[in-house]
Amino acid sequence: MFFYYLDLAWRSIKKTPMLSALMVMAISIGIGITITTLNIYKMMSINPAGEKSSQLYAVQLWSQGPDTWDRFDSQITYQDGFNLLRSEVPTYQTSMFRTGGAVQTDDPNLLPAMQSVRVTNNDFFQLFAIDFQYGQAWDDSVDTSPRYEVVLSDELNQTLFAGKNSVGKTVYFNAKAYQVVGVLKPWAPSPNYHDLNNGSFGESDKMYVPYSLAPIEEYQSWGNTNGWNYESVDTYAKRLTSEKHWTQYWVQLDTPAQVEEYRQWLNNYIEQQKKLGRFTSPKAAAQFLDVAQWLDFNKVVPKDNKILVGLSSLFLLVCLVNMLGLLLSKFLRRAPEIGVRRAIGASQGQIFAQHMVEVSLMGLLGGLLGLGWAWGSLLLLTKKFELQASLTHLDASMWVIAPVIAIVAAILAGIYPAWRVCTTNPSVYLKSQ
Amino acid sequence: MLHIKPILSGLLRSKSGPLLLLMQMILSVAIVANASFIITERLNLMARESGVEEAQVFDFTIYHFDKSTDLVAQNIRDLDILRTLPGVIDASPTSMVPLSGGGWSSNFKLSPEKDSKSSPNSAMYLGDEHFINTLGVKLIEGRNFYPQEITNEFTESGGKMLVSKALAEKIWPDESPLGKRLYMGTQQFEIIGVIERLQHAWVDNDNLEFSTVMSVDLTSEFKHYLVRAKASDIEHLKVKIPEVLHKDNQSRVIEGFKTIAERRIEAYRDHELMATVLTMMVILLLLITSLGVTGMVMFNIQRRTKQIGTRRALGAKKRDIISYFLVENYLLCLVGGTIGVLLAIQLGKQLMNFYSLPMLELSYPLLTVVGLFMVTTLAVYMPARKAAKISPATATRSV
Repeated sequence: MFFYYLDLAWRSIKKTPMLSALMVMAISIGIGITITTLNIYKMMSINPAGEKSSQLYAVQLWSQGPDTWDRFDSQITYQDGFNLLRSEVPTYQTSMFRTGGAVQTDDPNLLPAMQSVRVTNNDFFQLFAIDFQYGQAWDDSVDTSPRYEVVLSDELNQTLFAGKNSVGKTVYFNAKAYQVVGVLKPWAPSPNYHDLNNGSFGESDKMYVPYSLAPIEEYQSWGNTNGWNYESVDTYAKRLTSEKHWTQYWVQLDTPAQVEEYRQWLNNYIEQQKKLGRFTSPKAAAQFLDVAQWLDFNKVVPKDNKILVGLSSLFLLVCLVNMLGLLLSKFLRRAPEIGVRRAIGASQGQIFAQHMVEVSLMGLLGGLLGLGWAWGSLLLLTKKFELQASLTHLDASMWVIAPVIAIVAAILAGIYPAWRVCTTNPSVYLKSQ
Repeated sequence: MLHIKPILSGLLRSKSGPLLLLMQMILSVAIVANASFIITERLNLMARESGVEEAQVFDFTIYHFDKSTDLVAQNIRDLDILRTLPGVIDASPTSMVPLSGGGWSSNFKLSPEKDSKSSPNSAMYLGDEHFINTLGVKLIEGRNFYPQEITNEFTESGGKMLVSKALAEKIWPDESPLGKRLYMGTQQFEIIGVIERLQHAWVDNDNLEFSTVMSVDLTSEFKHYLVRAKASDIEHLKVKIPEVLHKDNQSRVIEGFKTIAERRIEAYRDHELMATVLTMMVILLLLITSLGVTGMVMFNIQRRTKQIGTRRALGAKKRDIISYFLVENYLLCLVGGTIGVLLAIQLGKQLMNFYSLPMLELSYPLLTVVGLFMVTTLAVYMPARKAAKISPATATRSV
């Protein structure tokens, strides 16, 4: 029966090519616009942590004095980061910040170039579940007694060593020699949720150096440094003991019990710091957000995108109303023919089903065409605005979402016209023939 | 002679068709009005001038990684090399680059007392006596720095300062700013000149026009330079400059060449993207609405072929038939437009509340309705002209 209806639908579409084309066009443009904006939105709000999303938490501390900042800062002080590392509750934890500098190798033909470098401990790689291509992270002992060791990103390893196994080789960072101990597999989360300091879709880390080297090498922060009271930080030592917020802190907590235990631990920590004269605000507290909450807290999806998605769904609604009107005229015009079919025994349900098949077919065509529009417009936008490919790549889910929205939309638009047609009294049309 | 009454009763009798068209018009007016409002708002943002010769000025950074470099002497040599390079009009050190999205800003105190009033947050450009000529900004009052006034670091005594006109008018609305002082802690900066217009680095900041230039050429391993040259020479200079500077000293990274014009495109990219997508939406929406109107009229004509033929047979002129469809459309436009304007205002309010957009100006929905009248006139006229050609004979045929 379905195929017979499909055949009827195809014939009916062919019989009124202009009107049908108009309808398919209307729905395809609506779908095209909606999918375009939805795709950009989805790519921006994608949760890059995947299945670890609800295990990873960014830690924030209300360490500022009373009457200063009125919300949690997204970073914490170096001294707090240093102290928190002593907790034994989290499975993994890392205190880190971004720096950068000139990177060279022994190859004299390679001009030194500025690279973005992350200062962190060796938990970082397990916490964010990054796999190694060659070698491994530096040893635990390096995090307490520093050695000049470095982990390279795949990208930097390509630039410096043509992608070959570079473990054991020497890399010069600001003219200081470091030994390569590991090379990561490609890892560039988008948005780069682990450090949202310098934009959500910015440059990725090229190299990782031990956190324990920070006081010795005095790495400058390439992220934000925020202060709430006036204090001088003209030496690095003063910076490390200051109340300035400039490091990021992440923990992995696997079970609810662990989360509760960590909350308790942080509260104790704050109480202890209060006795030392810090955390003077009555609001002093700790907050830790999982990845989804973290992205929300940092407003990773700009409001412009939300407006666009909103307006484009209204747009789709207009297309639907438009299609509804056209379907109504199309179906009613066919009423005499339906009258005959009803008279020779077709039930109301069958007529209804037949029309539903027809609108679904049009919806499907519109959805596919709309995907084409979306693909084209994303391509244009990428070219014109040099958007990141990761933002404008047509997400695989859209291949399902687009036709589904289109068919559902078409069916919604088709229900009323189909119902009108199948409830019409056939005798009216039989008479006037 | 518009015969509104029969048209109205015709409309009321076939409820669903016109009702749908009405809904479509209402939604279209609401969307188009708000979208075009956002578009103009963005275009206005993008049209603001920075005050800088954007196509002639580019910037780059030098990072000295060799700790043994004498940074003060190196800076003097580098500036000499840059300024004597063929094609270069002028060059200056700087702490930040207009429209680049990164830099320094601060509130200043109006007097040395700790609890005195603060200036609004303003950009801190650090430069030397070549700074204003390099950027091509106009000095409208006072004088430029003298070379001997430039220091290599922030000193206890402070220094001289140029301010943008917008900032001067904000702090001292009725007086000349010359000779006034701004304070950073105990350091004082005497204002010696006023720049007509100089934007800072963050285009989405309300204080975009508030800039100061301080007589400090700060010594640092990171140095930022601005260079002005004829636009046609810039591509060549981007290659030449690292070459000659590396010849002088190899142990440094020289990179990040970008003109201010390029920085402008990057700074406003999000706004341009928004404006482009919305424009696309408005055009398509108008297209779809007019196609909807055309489709509806075509359908009505087919349904009323006999009726039209009869009217023609009874003496209606061709233009009567056309005007029937036009008036029918205008009635719909009038009702749809009115409700559409109300909905547009509501939608604008929601956008204002949730996304802190500015309030929708009433002229936008009103203009949209005018547009609706014009577009639908076209959309109706084409099929209506065809209807007018229906011969009176059809009325008598096939009865």
